[in-house]
Amino acid sequence: MTKQLGFYLDAEACNGCAVCLVACKDKYDNPVGVNFRKVIHHTMGSWEQDAASPGFMVPQISAYSLSIACNHCVTPVCLEACPVAAISKRDDGRVLIDPEVCVGCRLCQCCPYDAPQFNEALGVMTMCDGCVDLEGTGEEQACVAACPQRALEFGDIEELRAKHGDAVLGGVEPLADPAITQPSLLVTPHRHSTVLTGRTNAVE
Amino acid sequence: MNAPGMPRARNPIELWAAAVRQAGGVGFGLKKEPRARQLLGSGGGKGKWIAADCWPDCGSKGFNKAYVEDGVVVRMGTDDTIEDSWNKPQLRACARGQSLRLWLLGADRLKYPMKRKHWEPGGGKKELRGKDEWVRISWDEALDILAGELKRIKQSYGNEAILAPWVGAIAARALGAYGGFTDQWGAHSTGTWLPAHLHTGFGYPHWNDRFDMVETKLFLLWGTNPVWSQAGLPAYTYMQAKRNGARFIAIDPFYNPTYEMLTDEWMPIRPGTDHALILGMIHTLLVEDDPAANKLIDWDFLNRCTVGFDAEHLPEGADPRDNLKDYVLGLNDGQPRDAEWAAQICGAPPERIRWLARLLAKEEHAAICTSGGVARIDNADTLPQAFIALTAMTGHFGKPHSQLGVHHHFGTNGGPQLVQGQNSRSYANSHLRAPPIPNPVCDDMMAGGFQHTSRKGCININEINTAVLNGHYTGVDGEKVPIDLRMIYHAHGSRVNQLPNTVEGIRAHRKVEFVVTQNMFMNADAIYSDLVLPVTSRWERDGNVCIGYREQLLWHSKVMEPYFECRDDLWIGVELAKRLGIDPAIVEPWSWKQEIFNQVADARVMNEDGKTFEPLVTITKDDLAAFDVEGVPQQGRITVEEFREKGIYHIPREPGDNHGFVYLKEFREDPDANPLATRSGKLEIHCQAIADLVNRLGWSQIRPIPAYVPPMEGYEATFSDWEQRIKGDYPLQVYNIHMPRRAHNFFDNATVMRELFPHEYIMNPIDAAPRGIANGDTVLIRSPWGKVLRTVWVTPHIMPGVTILGQGSRVDLDEETGIDRGGCANVLKGSKPTGGGHIGWNSLIVEVEKWTGAPLRSDVETAHVIPLKDAYA
Repeated sequence: MTKQLGFYLDAEACNGCAVCLVACKDKYDNPVGVNFRKVIHHTMGSWEQDAASPGFMVPQISAYSLSIACNHCVTPVCLEACPVAAISKRDDGRVLIDPEVCVGCRLCQCCPYDAPQFNEALGVMTMCDGCVDLEGTGEEQACVAACPQRALEFGDIEELRAKHGDAVLGGVEPLADPAITQPSLLVTPHRHSTVLTGRTNAVE
Repeated sequence: MNAPGMPRARNPIELWAAAVRQAGGVGFGLKKEPRARQLLGSGGGKGKWIAADCWPDCGSKGFNKAYVEDGVVVRMGTDDTIEDSWNKPQLRACARGQSLRLWLLGADRLKYPMKRKHWEPGGGKKELRGKDEWVRISWDEALDILAGELKRIKQSYGNEAILAPWVGAIAARALGAYGGFTDQWGAHSTGTWLPAHLHTGFGYPHWNDRFDMVETKLFLLWGTNPVWSQAGLPAYTYMQAKRNGARFIAIDPFYNPTYEMLTDEWMPIRPGTDHALILGMIHTLLVEDDPAANKLIDWDFLNRCTVGFDAEHLPEGADPRDNLKDYVLGLNDGQPRDAEWAAQICGAPPERIRWLARLLAKEEHAAICTSGGVARIDNADTLPQAFIALTAMTGHFGKPHSQLGVHHHFGTNGGPQLVQGQNSRSYANSHLRAPPIPNPVCDDMMAGGFQHTSRKGCININEINTAVLNGHYTGVDGEKVPIDLRMIYHAHGSRVNQLPNTVEGIRAHRKVEFVVTQNMFMNADAIYSDLVLPVTSRWERDGNVCIGYREQLLWHSKVMEPYFECRDDLWIGVELAKRLGIDPAIVEPWSWKQEIFNQVADARVMNEDGKTFEPLVTITKDDLAAFDVEGVPQQGRITVEEFREKGIYHIPREPGDNHGFVYLKEFREDPDANPLATRSGKLEIHCQAIADLVNRLGWSQIRPIPAYVPPMEGYEATFSDWEQRIKGDYPLQVYNIHMPRRAHNFFDNATVMRELFPHEYIMNPIDAAPRGIANGDTVLIRSPWGKVLRTVWVTPHIMPGVTILGQGSRVDLDEETGIDRGGCANVLKGSKPTGGGHIGWNSLIVEVEKWTGAPLRSDVETAHVIPLKDAYA
């Protein structure tokens, strides 16, 4: 493999507005329940009695949103699970499902990011392909182009790392342990989030 | 709320949206075949992008475009017409904008004119409205019915029997020429801010320029959520300020996504208690201020530029006791409004109130950014004056990087409009060069005004249903005015759903002799009508011009042919005029295509000098021929074809240019040379004009200074005994916020938005647990006015004692039980006006219990109301 494409998410700027998701759903005409991209909303904490003022309750909570699609992983477990070899990894690192080959057995739903989505009408699994159809057109990925916070980018993961020095490779809580699939996901963490380790830098 | 996008409905109702829409076929902007777009191109260059309007009135503006292939709308896009930079940002759309295609081409778009099966002239089984079957009719029959009923009712009862509340500019021209109609007045969105903008000297719009704003060091984000309400540029602008190191404090009952993104601290307070908090802060500053050792108050600004803060600076003729300082210190009634007093009402600990006051006072460059929401409270008539007083005393008016910013409608980027055209984002006025057509019934020029004071033949928004039912309304001087309303004409908005006391609204709609609705969908107005006229969306008309923020002008083009038998409002107005014996040229003095071209030709852009304007577009004789319009060639900044092609013009900006703006800067420097448009010429903390207008209407009596009045249905009303703190029958408050799924009632029926943003009732675990309520349960919400069922989201994001039911969801009334299954907040809200006749939506009290009946169907399953089943199969 010559390069590894992947997504960059600025989780400081992401506010969960879901424009990315609607833009994706609109472009792919995905039905109810089929979402290549998701906004994960994560809340921590609870309300406590205020130590200084008896009788008053105060919040000790924090929260943030993460917009996540297929992470076009270095070691995709979906690909390993597919019994008919419908899933392949392209030279550019994209993980793609061939709908002509897929039999809809759903074994690829072992993905810890819930990326493969079963389309009941088509009888096959579908998934974010990084808008491979737009390659060479000059257009950006639907989600990236639509983000009003400019929080999403898609590209060569090494180039993205060089551009975003503060970002971490692999993700933040509550995403899955990046050791499982080595996701090509670069995240500038929200100030309240815990960074996950477990993503090695190897791009084979 | 569950994460948007997480599968909600395991049983997909619309398996493949295009397949459901198949009935339309090519030619109506629909897709012919469902396509597996995996590994397919986005059109392969066969189609073209067309600038596509988004007009629902959220108060923000994004740029949308539609990709059209062979007349079929394939997908949505947003602004990529310029290279994106902070100096000149693309005007990117929000989730609602990106859902336009799926919304406008949903399975529930109306296709044909319809009448109610049991309708007869004069009504005909009026009680069946909302339950009757629908019958498809021809346009000729539909227009004959409408004209016939208008004539009959005018002849029998006079023009004032025709209620056409904010009917829209086009229908208003026809009805105005026919002798007029009864209209409505009052503030929806702005709560009590509207009179404040007009009478205190704190005008509208009033934000500083964005390059100034992003250098602010401290923001109090106060009861505002632009990420959901005015999505797009405001949140992006705040993000620049955060990157510049600004500190953000949230003051709100709800920890919303705007705060998650920006804020360092969250200070929860109860709905309707902002006024009490402000008074507690003012008290703190008054008792702690020491001009020499601990300067907290900007006495210089207060003394030179305001009236009403203390007894030494009162307007002429004022009662000396009517000054804010004495009131807050409790000098006249022995009740100081100190932090302890405020804490008992607003729920924030006293020490936190003092901390907030000091923080705001000590920061040189601070901004309070708030919304209409804080003022959509019963009895909140002087709340804006309290905000103005706090901002003034902490020295944040008229200074760089400081401000009081209200409503993100113009928010985060203030100053003169730099690109001027149709200066409305959603309410298109009709032919701009044509003389307005007066409405003789209420002596008003055109309908749709947002008057804040009563006038003849014009009913307060809280009273339009009771006026129908009871035969009277409140007049200019608070007097009871008799009225005999016999007909309701809806051609704009969603009155049944979006005004308080929806159940009362339904009763009113069943009382009159005739109800007609023009709409794209079966909204609640249409459901309770006799005649429904299907109208085109703006995608199906000859374009539209509107401003974006102050730096953009948008020109949208026709995207698709009219859908089935839909006709636009203008055509309906003309056909109606013909039947009423009115000259159709009054309604349509020239074609809409010509009108839009006129608006483009009239568009102006500010020159680099920051003072003068030049035409935006160059027009040649060839252009006039090519566009097939009349006009005069002119020289402008870009070609008319470039503007049409791109659909948007952005004026170039950079920090330090001549377009910067700091609101009230000149006034602060020299108030005598730059007086405000108030009685005193100063900023009025003591505002007799507001007290006069409220007291004249007579729903409540107020003082001219911002003295706190508990809301009719606020926190205090949740107690049966306030002194002993014994809770009453309705112990919880409801915060009636704007939700991401919709802009008011618009988009609410879009399946995609329903899937991603379920309409949930929100409550804290501390309130849910003792009621045996768990996350995801169906709950019954009861107020003094009605009952609603909803699924609950239990979360610490909301303050204990406060719950949320967002506004705008379509009513789905079970007539047997009187319970609304649609989650319409106006079923819970009463229609009793206070003060200046605004709507106090955020003052609402309820009790909640776990629902033991059948659970609700999902929002996706209930998305569409389809009246003619056969025609849509």
